[in-house]
Amino acid sequence: MNFFKRKTTQPSSGCLGKGDNSNKINFSLSIKNTWLLWLCQCLNIAVIALELSTWMLAIISLSLVWQALLLHQNRDRVKAKKPIKTGIQLNHRQNTHLNKQRVTNVAPILLGIFALLGCLAIAITAKEVGILTSMLHLLCFSYVLKAFELKARSDFYQLFLLGLFVLASSLIFRQDLAFTLITFTLLVINLAVLLQLFSLEKAFATNIKVVVILLGQSILLAIVLFLVFPRLSPFWQVPLAKSAETGLPDTVKPGDIANLTRSTKLAFRADFGQQKAPAYSQLYWRAMVLEDYDGRQWSKQKAARTTPSNTVAGADKSSNDKSLTFDASTTDVLPLNYQVIVEPSFQKYLFALAPAVVAGDKSGIKAQTGYTFSSTSVISQAKSYQLASYLTAPLALELSQKSKQVNLRFPEGSNPRLEQFALQLQHNYADVQARAQAVLTFINKEKYAYTLQPQLLDNNSLDQFFFDTQSGFCVHYASAFTFLMRASGVPARMVTGYLGGEYNGDDAQQFNSKGHLSIYQYDAHAWSEIWVAGKGWLRIDPTSAVDPQRVNSGWSSELLQQQSALNNDLISLYQLKNSALLNALRLQFDALDYQWTRWVIGFTTKQQYNLFKNLFGKMASWKLALVIGVSLIISMATFMLFLHLLNRAKHTQQVLSKWQVVYQKALAQLAKQGMGKPAGMTVNDFAKQVREQYPELAIAFTRLSASYNSLCYQTLSINEQDKLALTMQHHYRQFLHILKKQS
Amino acid sequence: MPQTPPVLDQIQTSQQSITAILNKIETVVLGKPKECRLALACLLAQGHLLIEDLPGMGKTTLAHVLATTLGLSYQRTQFTNDLLPADVVGFSIFDKETNRFELHKGPIFNQVVLADEINRASPKTQSALLEAMAEQQVSIDGITHELPTPFFVIATQNPLFHAGTYPLPESQLDRFMMRLSLGFPDLKAEKQILLSMSQRTNQTLQNVKVDNEAMIEQEELIAIQDAVTQINVSNDVLDYIIALSHVSRRAYSGQANVANMTWDNTPEINCKPLSPRASKALLQAAKAMAFIDNRDYVLPDDVQAVFYVVCQHRLEMQPNQQIGSNQRDSSSVANQILNCVDVLNPLGYS
Repeated sequence: MNFFKRKTTQPSSGCLGKGDNSNKINFSLSIKNTWLLWLCQCLNIAVIALELSTWMLAIISLSLVWQALLLHQNRDRVKAKKPIKTGIQLNHRQNTHLNKQRVTNVAPILLGIFALLGCLAIAITAKEVGILTSMLHLLCFSYVLKAFELKARSDFYQLFLLGLFVLASSLIFRQDLAFTLITFTLLVINLAVLLQLFSLEKAFATNIKVVVILLGQSILLAIVLFLVFPRLSPFWQVPLAKSAETGLPDTVKPGDIANLTRSTKLAFRADFGQQKAPAYSQLYWRAMVLEDYDGRQWSKQKAARTTPSNTVAGADKSSNDKSLTFDASTTDVLPLNYQVIVEPSFQKYLFALAPAVVAGDKSGIKAQTGYTFSSTSVISQAKSYQLASYLTAPLALELSQKSKQVNLRFPEGSNPRLEQFALQLQHNYADVQARAQAVLTFINKEKYAYTLQPQLLDNNSLDQFFFDTQSGFCVHYASAFTFLMRASGVPARMVTGYLGGEYNGDDAQQFNSKGHLSIYQYDAHAWSEIWVAGKGWLRIDPTSAVDPQRVNSGWSSELLQQQSALNNDLISLYQLKNSALLNALRLQFDALDYQWTRWVIGFTTKQQYNLFKNLFGKMASWKLALVIGVSLIISMATFMLFLHLLNRAKHTQQVLSKWQVVYQKALAQLAKQGMGKPAGMTVNDFAKQVREQYPELAIAFTRLSASYNSLCYQTLSINEQDKLALTMQHHYRQFLHILKKQS
Repeated sequence: MPQTPPVLDQIQTSQQSITAILNKIETVVLGKPKECRLALACLLAQGHLLIEDLPGMGKTTLAHVLATTLGLSYQRTQFTNDLLPADVVGFSIFDKETNRFELHKGPIFNQVVLADEINRASPKTQSALLEAMAEQQVSIDGITHELPTPFFVIATQNPLFHAGTYPLPESQLDRFMMRLSLGFPDLKAEKQILLSMSQRTNQTLQNVKVDNEAMIEQEELIAIQDAVTQINVSNDVLDYIIALSHVSRRAYSGQANVANMTWDNTPEINCKPLSPRASKALLQAAKAMAFIDNRDYVLPDDVQAVFYVVCQHRLEMQPNQQIGSNQRDSSSVANQILNCVDVLNPLGYS
């Protein structure tokens, strides 16, 4: 209702390219609001920026800067051609409601070419980046381009809806509490900007307040929808993450995991419930077993699938597989039950304390060879599963001939010095475990350093690391150790995963303690396993030989310092952990985030189905849908009816505005003094009468009356009204003050 | 809606002219500033003005000075009991040379018609004014002639108990937006009148007329009249006006037709009911008062200021017997009505 239509035909009011355009335009904005819209757009894009390709980001920021320039230009033009009118008050009004057309002086052809080129680029890169990302590119690209052609009201709606869509799609990638809060704040800002377009009169803060109130009122509906709205699995193919930052890589070469440890992102959480959590040094979260070594890097065993002998002997393969997965019935060790909630990693592997079996719902989880687990689909949202681990049970007491072969294989001549060292070891120590211990002792005694910034190795040569640089991270040590073992004739393999975890809750050592372990990306770790006849696979962590603290209680402060130096974060983990208050806060927030992940994000189709099964008993899904639909419609209808009745009741009874209330209060005060106002007397006349009887009150009451008159009878904008109402309150307080002083 | 600037603009530009006009009128009609303002408001609100008073109170002077300061063409017509309608309106006369009937325009074809002592004319002549005042057009021999704009009728009359007067019919009284009464000047003002008389020897009305050149352009006057109609009226003021007219209808209307306003809490007032035309006139006059006060919105004070002069002649059961009673007189019907409507809460909402 407050939109200004361009009705006068002022010749070239600056923002229009051609005069005849003005007939088509039926929508314009004030400068302040255009900037608001622009800012809002920038914020929306910023939320999703991390998921976009660099070239797309460049295009988008270019467009935004272009827009900003245009806005700036327009403002200057409007200022220059401000119409000169008589009457000071009139000019003042004109200034506050300067009509302005948003960016329109871009030639459509130029814009079209730009759009076409952008689309072409998106199409070309689609195959490379995957369908989801390219769709995202398209969305963001159209979002920034739309802002160039804001002419009609519908254009603003489209822009607003696109913005909401961008916000929503950012939730595909992250759902943690902090990010959700940011997204929600942005939603509020978006809505407030929309509101601002419709009520120019109000201050932005007022609009935000209105939006928050409205959203608060809609919480009930949101809860209902949260519970009943069907959760559909994504329609799109979720891409596998490529960057090393989001999780463990499939192949590992020395130096790999050190990069990952710069990230303070959450990897997963584990909840041991009422049980006592194992000691830190027992928390080897297994993710992948890497058995193939090509002289440079470790990778998962692929040979099994490619060798033809295995595919023919299907029975042999199955028995082979069986021996490699854990069977709980063969052990009498007491199980440790826990729940793991994995953050979206866009990978498939899961985490477990080996050996383990899936305790609860088995769907979607596959037990892999090497006592690991993996998800059947890419983990694109938080996933939770129950496990039972038998920590002390031996792994694979028998090793098949083929496995043995695989775990002894290494490219000969890749690391000649190590091979020689291994032969020496083999000669000196006949016992396998003693041999392993000898290596650890060697590492411990020599000047080996544990560092996040290892020197670069030529061709990832282990020789160079072990004998020359002698500084490295867990992967270096695990690689070298495994290589040494293999070269000396002991079946060995590399295992990657996470070590430890941060306990959040009451004392971890107590029973009945409510808390959980949070495992972050910087807990990523690599260790090795050797097979000893009669004992099975034994876990050997060469890192313990060089930096025992890392294995026993977590990162040393030295490493933390290194990490913060590498990250250049504003608030690094090191600083956080050093300040008790900040750390406590961080832990509190982590606990909140855990509950959020567990109860809100973790409310999946299955939980939803179970809830309804519990509520309504088992029934066909179409019946359930019907029940939900009908009850939703009925509840909405009753709610609307209720609101309608409420409003009608309000209509018949006129509500006094606040200034009326204030004036009536003042009148009541005067009546107490024996100065009643006759009904037929106007406010001004009464003020005059008061002036004569109580000269002390004259100024305050006259001002009060004048404000009242203006508020009641003058046509004011909402802004002016709010201001005047405040002044009136002020006058009223003065009036009361004087009255009190008198009596 | 913040699209008010035209009105404010007009108020600001014509503020000077308004003050000049008022000053001029007040130098001629001494000691009656309130009446002068009301008279000016009536003309700015495009209403016709009836000035009622005893002879020699300055009725004609006021009418004269109004017409001249506004710079309009005017003609004075002395109404007598033998005045015929044709004398006011005009007539067709046969021209021997051209062999055609030619229209001989009467005094009504002026922008301001001064109808002096209107109630001395016969009812027939009085009603000839009727069409002109309502429609701003006259019919002579079946041909309709438009009257010039702006068009005002300023009539003066003697109180009805005077000898040789015909009371104006109610319908015609209703066409006058205001009925003003000047009343006796206070002693100080009267002394000044006498002083100015002796200073300017041989002073006649004729001299006064020469004295009063126009203070305003005609275009501006029309612009002001437009601006007056556009002045903002808040809902509260509208409620106040309808509440006032509503109270007057108690004896005529079967039931209270305003929400929450019952006959129980309105006192019985012996009066004629106010018509919607009266409400319209009241609103328009209030707007003009606001304009004169340099406001672009109407206050209840404006309504109260004009209520007596706009409504008293439409309300009273008996023709006015009082002189100079457009002051606040608690006994008058108009003031009774004013006193029983709550300004802050006119429709009696609880």
